[in-house]
Amino acid sequence: MRVMKSLSDTHAAFFMVVAETITPEVASLDADGRARMTAIVDTALQDRDATTRKQIGTFLTVIRLAPVLRFGRAFDRLDGDRRNAVLRWLENCPISLLRSGFWGLKVLVFMGYYGQPENRQIVGYAPDFDGRAGVRHA
Amino acid sequence: MREHNYDVVLIGSGAGGGAVAKELAPLAADGKRIAVLEWGPKLADDAFTGQEVDMARQLYFDSGGVLTKDRTLTMAYGKAYGGSTVVYTGTSLTMPEDVVKRWDVPGIEYADLQQRSAKYLEENNVHKLEESELNDNNRLFRDGCAKLDYHVQQFPINVKGCLSSSLCNLGCPNGAKQGTHRVQLPAAEAAGVEVITNCRVTRVGEASCEAVVTEEGFGLPSAWEPGEYRVTAKVIVVCGGAVNSSALLLRSGFGDRLPTLGRFLTLHPALILVGEHPHEISNFHGHPKSFYCDEFWESEKFLLETCMYFPFVTSKNLIGFGAEHSELMRAFPRLQMILVLAIDPALESNRVVVDRDGEAVIDYTMGSSVLDSLHRSMVASAKVFFAAGAQRIHAPAGVSFFIDRKDADRVEEMIPRSNVIPGKISVASAHIMGGCRMGRDASDSVTDSWGRVHGSPGLYVGDSGLFPRASEINPYVTVMALADRVAEHIRSNAGELLQS
Repeated sequence: MRVMKSLSDTHAAFFMVVAETITPEVASLDADGRARMTAIVDTALQDRDATTRKQIGTFLTVIRLAPVLRFGRAFDRLDGDRRNAVLRWLENCPISLLRSGFWGLKVLVFMGYYGQPENRQIVGYAPDFDGRAGVRHA
Repeated sequence: MREHNYDVVLIGSGAGGGAVAKELAPLAADGKRIAVLEWGPKLADDAFTGQEVDMARQLYFDSGGVLTKDRTLTMAYGKAYGGSTVVYTGTSLTMPEDVVKRWDVPGIEYADLQQRSAKYLEENNVHKLEESELNDNNRLFRDGCAKLDYHVQQFPINVKGCLSSSLCNLGCPNGAKQGTHRVQLPAAEAAGVEVITNCRVTRVGEASCEAVVTEEGFGLPSAWEPGEYRVTAKVIVVCGGAVNSSALLLRSGFGDRLPTLGRFLTLHPALILVGEHPHEISNFHGHPKSFYCDEFWESEKFLLETCMYFPFVTSKNLIGFGAEHSELMRAFPRLQMILVLAIDPALESNRVVVDRDGEAVIDYTMGSSVLDSLHRSMVASAKVFFAAGAQRIHAPAGVSFFIDRKDADRVEEMIPRSNVIPGKISVASAHIMGGCRMGRDASDSVTDSWGRVHGSPGLYVGDSGLFPRASEINPYVTVMALADRVAEHIRSNAGELLQS
């Protein structure tokens, strides 16, 4: 059975590799956390049209292979600094399509990680339906 | 295809549709058949969980991330019984007289809009929070503005029994926000107006529309079985919001004789800045939006507002990624947030179109004046943060991820205009206006000042699509005031419009 309905297993696995560079805490997620992340991202992609899903898959391939031109290796065989450099280049890329594509990918990673209620405590976010007691003044 | 017949059909149940429904309710009480067809679901009270991703998926189109065609801006608008009034913060402002003059719509007078707005401020229990109800995030903004001598005002908001959950944008879990789902729609239903949820109208004509009812997997069941419907009505009011109303009319062929249909879209492009304080502040408890700064409203075309978002929305609004990004996210309890809104010009080229499948496409480009406003607003926000005591800040166009307090005097150079790069910085909109603008005739607009579509006596528009230009403030009260005019026109002409 495929990991995600919206992406091939190859793309789904590579998505998590990129995710670990965008949000380093992803590397520390246990199996349940990774499953929750995958499910959130998969649902979000399934809610989008087929063209968008295909574009995400294509963009992941671009990220994986583009570093070959500069570093002689695919993204998943680079060290952390070089992975950062590749993603930093995409974020600032003069080509608008690549820039906004990276932004979209980043949003998916953040949704998958920070969208998990289980990760709220890591950032110190503790909402309460009755928050009146929390409206204190420092 | 099943058929239903009504005297009046409203398409959409947000600020516009809800207001029209309540104002026409006396007709229902007199025996006229009125239905509201709402695309989104109605959630049970206990379904408002405050879970960020789930609620966004259930209450917003595309989870609040509808992309423009060039993918440089996302839009958040509601898809629910109550429309966007379910997910706004309830800030309730009356449009200033200067803006009414700039609108320059024959028949729209400031005094009239003000009077109608006042009615909704009363109806929605609008008031200002007490000092003791304001959290640090809001107070720091006010105090920072005051130190800089920036003009700052408190937002009146429409809550009743607010418990300070700060979850307004995910649908209030306490039912405190007085949106149309709490006030106007229940009143209309009590008088006999029917509300059909999960019902997407696919085409509209002058006396009928086609709709599809679906089962969404969440929310209460629709009053109608899933399937396709043809609904006839003597009067139809399109209140689906600026994007969906424009798209519906375009898809239905009205663009052929209404050349401005879909055009002159304005969005109040917005972004978020974050300031980190040396100690914890109260931020995610308490109403998120209590103050706004209009110091630069006229001179540089932007507003600053307090805001407080949830972890995912916050994370995607920060530029960058990796260790610095994580570090800032982990400072969540120390974060102060400011939302900036650019007041964008109404340009014919910014518009809603429909693709080959009839789906809405938002063809909107942030021009240089908007990018200038966003730039200046980031500089102003940085100054407010530091004046409020922040130790460092994050500005999307900053030369570095953090700008430290020691560089507070250098924010002009630390946030260069050249770094305001569409597609890199996160820009979003929750104020979508225009596309069905009011005006003189079909050559310059879609409707007259009563919301009546030019050349179609029984077809009206009753939402923010009517705005000929930006409202330059949070728009929902103005939407309700204009919807009130639509309802009045229908009531006044009921004898002619609704005759058998």
